Amino acid sequence: MTDDLLTRYNYDEFVPAKFEPWMRFDQSPPLGSKGPDFPLWTLDGTETSLSAIWSANSYTVVEFGSFT
Amino acid sequence: MNAIAERYADAGVGSIFLYTNEAHPGEIYPHLTSMEQKLRHATALRDVLGVSRRILVDSLDGACHRAYGSMPNMTWIFNQAGTPIYKSDWSDSHSVENAVQYFLQVLDRRRNRERMAPFRVERLDYRIQDQAQFYTGLERNGPKAVTEFRDAFG
Repeated sequence: MTDDLLTRYNYDEFVPAKFEPWMRFDQSPPLGSKGPDFPLWTLDGTETSLSAIWSANSYTVVEFGSFT
Repeated sequence: MNAIAERYADAGVGSIFLYTNEAHPGEIYPHLTSMEQKLRHATALRDVLGVSRRILVDSLDGACHRAYGSMPNMTWIFNQAGTPIYKSDWSDSHSVENAVQYFLQVLDRRRNRERMAPFRVERLDYRIQDQAQFYTGLERNGPKAVTEFRDAFG
């Protein structure tokens, strides 16, 4: 993890030069093949993973987003 | 989306909200600089905005979010094997519920021993654009968020 990546990903202002590079839905994983797994954290800071989530139910709906 | 989560929980459909970067940082909810701050903002999502689904937080560098296309408010549906079976570049409850109902029917059909093979389909779905509600949300982030959005999109 580099400071540059942290700064670019967590951009400080909503200007096209800063948010447009992250609009990469066309490069996202295809349907039908196993998705990549990542660690995630609960609100109390406990680590879990995306695979722990998707394996818990027949289907899992994952909405990505933020407060803002 | 909260209502859908509740409606289908007993049918074996899990639902989470995965916290990413701040799409429209403002003075009140600024851009993220630490994991502690990210957890605080995610908690506000529950306490202020009323998200009742389980909220999970991505790493500060958004490893998961970036791997899945890093759109600000997308939705993915996974099956139990971890295969994405639905993805949308924007979250819309009607679209998601339509997909959930379809996939639950697939489970029923399999239980009834129908032989099925997956195929890919593309479809353009439609969502309601509520500008007033959107700007109310921006104002909650701070005046800077409103100004920057107006400057970007008029």
